[in-house]
Amino acid sequence: MDSQGQTTSLQRLQNVEKRIVKVLELAGGVMDELASPVGPRKDVVQNHCLEFMQLIKDIQVALRDEIKSACEYRPFEKCDYGSRIANEICHKKVEFIMSQLDAMKQTIDEYHAAV
Amino acid sequence: MDDGMQLQISLDKLPIKRLDSIEENGIERFPLDVDYDEKRLSLIRRIDFAWAVEKDEEKKKKKQKSSKETSAPWQWQGMVENLQLAHQELSVIIDLINTVEANDAVTVASMTRPKLLPNEALSDLAVSAATKLQCYRHVGKYFKQSAKAFEQQVAREARFYGALIRLQQNWKVKRQRQAAIVPGNEGFTFDLLDNSYDQAAIIRSLSMSTVRVNHDAAGMLAINVSPDLCHSLQFGFVGAQSDDTWRKSNENKSHFSGEHNLGEMGEESLSDEECVKKTNSLLREVHEAIFNEQVFDLVNREAFNTVAGVSVTGIRENYLQLSLGQGTSVYLTLVSNSQDHSTVEDELNDNVENAILPLESSDGMKREAKQNTSKKGQFSNSICYEIYIQQIFHEHIFGKGDEKAISSGNRLSGVQARDGSSLLGHFFKSLAHRIFSTKVLAELENVVCKVPYLQLISNPTWNSRASSWTLYMEVPQSILRGSQTKTSDYYEKNAAKRQFWTKVVVNDDCINVKAEGSPNVAGLFKGKIEETHSINKYNCNLADLPVIILQQVASQIINWLYQEAMMVGIKVNRDFLCLSLELKQGETLGLVASVDPEDSEECISWWLVMEDSFAEEQKLHMSITDGASEYRKFLGHLSLDLLYATLIDLVGLCSGGGGQ
Repeated sequence: MDSQGQTTSLQRLQNVEKRIVKVLELAGGVMDELASPVGPRKDVVQNHCLEFMQLIKDIQVALRDEIKSACEYRPFEKCDYGSRIANEICHKKVEFIMSQLDAMKQTIDEYHAAV
Repeated sequence: MDDGMQLQISLDKLPIKRLDSIEENGIERFPLDVDYDEKRLSLIRRIDFAWAVEKDEEKKKKKQKSSKETSAPWQWQGMVENLQLAHQELSVIIDLINTVEANDAVTVASMTRPKLLPNEALSDLAVSAATKLQCYRHVGKYFKQSAKAFEQQVAREARFYGALIRLQQNWKVKRQRQAAIVPGNEGFTFDLLDNSYDQAAIIRSLSMSTVRVNHDAAGMLAINVSPDLCHSLQFGFVGAQSDDTWRKSNENKSHFSGEHNLGEMGEESLSDEECVKKTNSLLREVHEAIFNEQVFDLVNREAFNTVAGVSVTGIRENYLQLSLGQGTSVYLTLVSNSQDHSTVEDELNDNVENAILPLESSDGMKREAKQNTSKKGQFSNSICYEIYIQQIFHEHIFGKGDEKAISSGNRLSGVQARDGSSLLGHFFKSLAHRIFSTKVLAELENVVCKVPYLQLISNPTWNSRASSWTLYMEVPQSILRGSQTKTSDYYEKNAAKRQFWTKVVVNDDCINVKAEGSPNVAGLFKGKIEETHSINKYNCNLADLPVIILQQVASQIINWLYQEAMMVGIKVNRDFLCLSLELKQGETLGLVASVDPEDSEECISWWLVMEDSFAEEQKLHMSITDGASEYRKFLGHLSLDLLYATLIDLVGLCSGGGGQ
């Protein structure tokens, strides 16, 4: 159902939310099956209940892991903010040099037009 | 008689029954404790008349006594007594009825339920099954509605958390635990400060370093950023107009302009992709604004430390003006990104007016012209100074905690070694050097324009406080081909020597001039001929630079002519700016160079001087008499080819035509 390569905590929590939606749908399915006029089909109800319990177990396991990992959360120790500012400065340099080159080209074109 | 006897007997029963005993004094005593069963049994027995008949005889005796007593005092005494007895009888009956009702209730409660008939059991089962079916349907409907609502909520939060996940890859996301969760705010914040930074400088940019994350009406991620808090750094020279072209293009890039407002109105039509991009761009601008605030704060802090040659002449909240001496003042200001260009200009003008402006003195027409030229040159580079100051402080701020940055051959590592205490000093020395080197370059360009056989070459030094140029001159190739051995030896020896250079190096504000092929001054004083390729070195200032340059170039030309004359075999002497040839009659013919930087056409002109003397002493006498017998002829401005032709003519004159 979900990919095993879950990278971030928020993605895992989002998968838990999706499982909760699935669990509610299973409960509704079981109720529909029990409420059918011809009587409940035993195998369908049993499969729904098995899937229900499996999803509940998965939800509990995921939430427990997230609670454990939440205690280990640390802010960025070595973030790349410095490198990012360096990129902005280099961007300014390139823009400045390009404006100088454009001015040179404009001067050359004016010179050729004058000649 | 019997009727009267029976009526009286029935009335007399009750008080006797209720009374337990009657004493002789007349006091009546009632029974204290009676059990429930015993009481009920006694009540039931009283209804049975057989029991009453047995006691009839006893009561007759008592009745007779009481009838005798009551007949005497009052006439209606008997009726009152009868009514009282009737009342007591009714009370007994009511008690019996209550007891029977209670007994019936107990009996009904303890009865076992009778067995149902098969059709009744089937009916009950059908009713309960129908009820359960209805309950199941209700619960199923409730679950389906919950699933649908929950799916919608998850989809809406997936937009929010999807955007947050993507932004988390670039920015530090923190979550603050709140006592009461505000609707629309999940407690997430973006932390735009670097942990490795010095904590003392966070004071100024603390209010904007944490950006709160909110939900908007559509459930999408939205950040709350005030445009007034974001500033961009501007560096410029006092009195000069700012470079509008580049700043306008830079301001159009800002997201706090009208385009952002237009985006806000049409925000619902934005896709998730565009929303994430817009938020990321906003965060980048806030992050850059934080850095600008830090740079401004650091510059302010270092400006009030003692920086050599720099003094603070004006200061406001977002404005700093510094004087560098020599009539140059610079300002550093933070301009809000939300203001348009005209407002920025007004703010700059207000800041300039409020600051104290130093008086600048102008010397004359030429100096003003030169200053205008140099000002025009240096003011157009205010943007590169702005970028440079950001780079210097960026390497100081973020390179402090990293060992790799220092060991990567950073050219500012020497500055960082002193704990950044002279970053501003280094910047202003670089700035002063740039201004000074611009003036030097103007002088060199002026010289090169007036000497047609000179070329100016710039040499990059990759150092912000050093500049270097080379003045290059190439002489024409020798046409003379001699068949003598001596001539060929000279030719082979000096075959490659056709180029001369003069190097000008500026370190901070010191000018060094190195010229190739000029005679040494000490050698001239000794009177002997120095080596051909000696190198001289001078320290000079800006005013003397053109004269020295021109003298070096003229000396190189003299050296070249000397080499050519030596190849021909003519006896020739060389001075710093003079080439002397001896005639047969003992006369000396001299080719003299004269340099004048203020010449309008060319800076180097040539004279032909003939001196008439036979001995050294007589030469001294001649110079004392102030050239009474000298003959001079002005040759004018000559090109190198003309100079060479002149030399050939002189050589021909010396070798054969002395008598002419």
